Amino acid sequence: MDPAEHAREELVRFVRALRRAGVAVPANAGTTAASALAAVGLADRERVRVALRASLITKGEDEGTFDELFAEFWRRLTAGLDPSGPAERPENPPDGGLAPLGADPAPGEHADSDGENDERDGEEGERSGLGAVVGRGAGEAGEEVTAARYSPTGQREAISSFAVPDTEGFDDAFDELTRALAELAGRRWTGGEERPDVRRALRASLGTGGAVVDLPRRERARTAVRARVVVDVSRSVLDVVERPFLLRFLQRAHAEWRDTRTFFFDEDLREVTDSFDAPSSGAALAALERAETEWGGGTHLGRSLDRLRTDFPYSVDRRSVLIVVSDGLEMGDVSALETALSGLSRTASAVLWLNPLAASPEYEPTARGMAAALPYLDGLFAFAGPADLVDLARQLRREGPHGSIGYEHDAWRTERRTTHQTQTT
Amino acid sequence: MSDAATGFSDVTTADVRAAFESENYVADDDIVTTVELALRLGKPLLVEGEPGAGKTELAKVLAGGFDAELLRLQCYEGLTAESALYEWNYTKQLLSMQSAEGGESVFDEEHLLERPLLSALRGEGRRVLLIDEVDRADEEFEALLLEVLSDFQVSVPELGTVRARTPPVVIITSNRTRGLSDALKRRCLFLHVAPPTFEKERAIVERKVPELGRTVAAELCAMTGRLREEPLLKPPGAAETIDWARAVAALRDGGDSALDDETVERTLGCLLKEVEDIERVDQELLVSLREAAERARTEAD
Repeated sequence: MDPAEHAREELVRFVRALRRAGVAVPANAGTTAASALAAVGLADRERVRVALRASLITKGEDEGTFDELFAEFWRRLTAGLDPSGPAERPENPPDGGLAPLGADPAPGEHADSDGENDERDGEEGERSGLGAVVGRGAGEAGEEVTAARYSPTGQREAISSFAVPDTEGFDDAFDELTRALAELAGRRWTGGEERPDVRRALRASLGTGGAVVDLPRRERARTAVRARVVVDVSRSVLDVVERPFLLRFLQRAHAEWRDTRTFFFDEDLREVTDSFDAPSSGAALAALERAETEWGGGTHLGRSLDRLRTDFPYSVDRRSVLIVVSDGLEMGDVSALETALSGLSRTASAVLWLNPLAASPEYEPTARGMAAALPYLDGLFAFAGPADLVDLARQLRREGPHGSIGYEHDAWRTERRTTHQTQTT
Repeated sequence: MSDAATGFSDVTTADVRAAFESENYVADDDIVTTVELALRLGKPLLVEGEPGAGKTELAKVLAGGFDAELLRLQCYEGLTAESALYEWNYTKQLLSMQSAEGGESVFDEEHLLERPLLSALRGEGRRVLLIDEVDRADEEFEALLLEVLSDFQVSVPELGTVRARTPPVVIITSNRTRGLSDALKRRCLFLHVAPPTFEKERAIVERKVPELGRTVAAELCAMTGRLREEPLLKPPGAAETIDWARAVAALRDGGDSALDDETVERTLGCLLKEVEDIERVDQELLVSLREAAERARTEAD
């Protein structure tokens, strides 16, 4: 075997062994470790040990476990590099493409695996044929096993094939959400602190012989919303989201909110604001079709959100709420996603993530992209129907956009989950 | 981050060792190799360890040894993006607005006050950015660091994106008063600086306080090691040992005679920083310290 390939394979195996032993190895650490190995070479055991330790562990208390497992790594590595004695073939090949289909993931392997698969395990049966790819391989006992992996890309479809009907209860739910999100001053006046209400003061003075006893004040009612909506139109989202519901949501946002800009993304980001500013559904769909917008493709969340920052630098500001509609399946670099979101979360008034998968009572945001995004969000909410909008509005009204909001604070969801667990047991 | 852009992509082990030597920094092979890797790969280095283990010193030594500018950001609870990145000079803006003919922006370079992070990004030449005690800052501040650490750029709404032409070497220290985010760790190489062994501490003291006799240095380090076995509120680090050694050297006029109890008692304040810890050093413990010192003196001879 080529020495470089052998070293790569042993490194992957070592990373897996560390994770199995409970060491918190960062998701990108394998790549960093490979670069470190290339920098220090493979001749000096001590330098290799230090280089891998600096790359693979992040806690001092993991050093003992690392050193224990490193001894075996070094033995296998050097055996394979010795031209007189070829490396023994691995009994347990490393992760990724070499893993047998259908094999159970090892504990702690999720960081480098596609976490999205994990969170959909219970749903694959319902969605067979919808973007799922099926492969065959040999199981441990020699029997043939079938493994399904959710397709991150799927096929593209023209957008014009979907109608936009009214959804029952949608309008009321959307109105509630608008009231909860409204932070900009509207046209109407209401009691407040901003300006003196001269007219009321004069009226009141009639009863006191012209003397102004109290000076009432007023301010503009906060009824307007400024929003930036970023919608993941990759296949993985479209398989779970109700497309009419999504389109209706976007249309109402453009019609009702003061300033709404909408962006679609899968592998890249493009603005479709003009299409939704069109007066009718038919016109919107036609506009989208003219814009060659398609449903499907892979998901590059980080790259797309970064483009939102760089190509539309003034679109998100302190007065606008950023709404991301996505399942959090990141096919690109998770670090890019974190970087983009950290910038956006500092700039936007609030960042709300609407995830169609979160409607499931069993949902946990363990997918790589979703887990990476979570710290930068003001709230993660379900997005499957009007009831989710009502819940979102309820939490926003109660706690405000920066309070304890999100799927984990949804009492109804907790109730549903408890019921679900009771039924399954 | 571009390796070549840091100016350290071709640094060798010998270069790093020479830099440490020139600054009298006693470093194990582990530290030398890890620092060499951080420089060559252009990755930030997260250094964790007990207070006084020499984490901050590592950055200072790197800057001194490689003749680089040191920019230090001391983290604290409540540290804001404004304090770390940039602020607008409001007074100057106000004056400009009052005296302007009209139409001129007051959000430009002239009215910008750079703070350490922005200075580190916009500077030229070799720079070492020390982000000290990052665990003291709030988690929100960590989020701000992510963009800086991964892309060496930051967005100033009024000016656009500021990207470093020559990225600085970044050393981040943490005392582990709280856990750091995975996102931050993922961007860094990791170095855990263990408390110094007796031999290492003795070598440090001999290097830093050469006026102190060799056997006296051994005595001091043995006593410090013995004190660390006690349940102290604030166990002394290497920095305290050096302070103590300097104080002892100042009180003695050279010579290799054994340390007396009076000198030890008079200078304990350099080593122990809590009243309760100093009060713990009673006659019984002093005897124990003297025994440890005598053993060290015998072995040093």
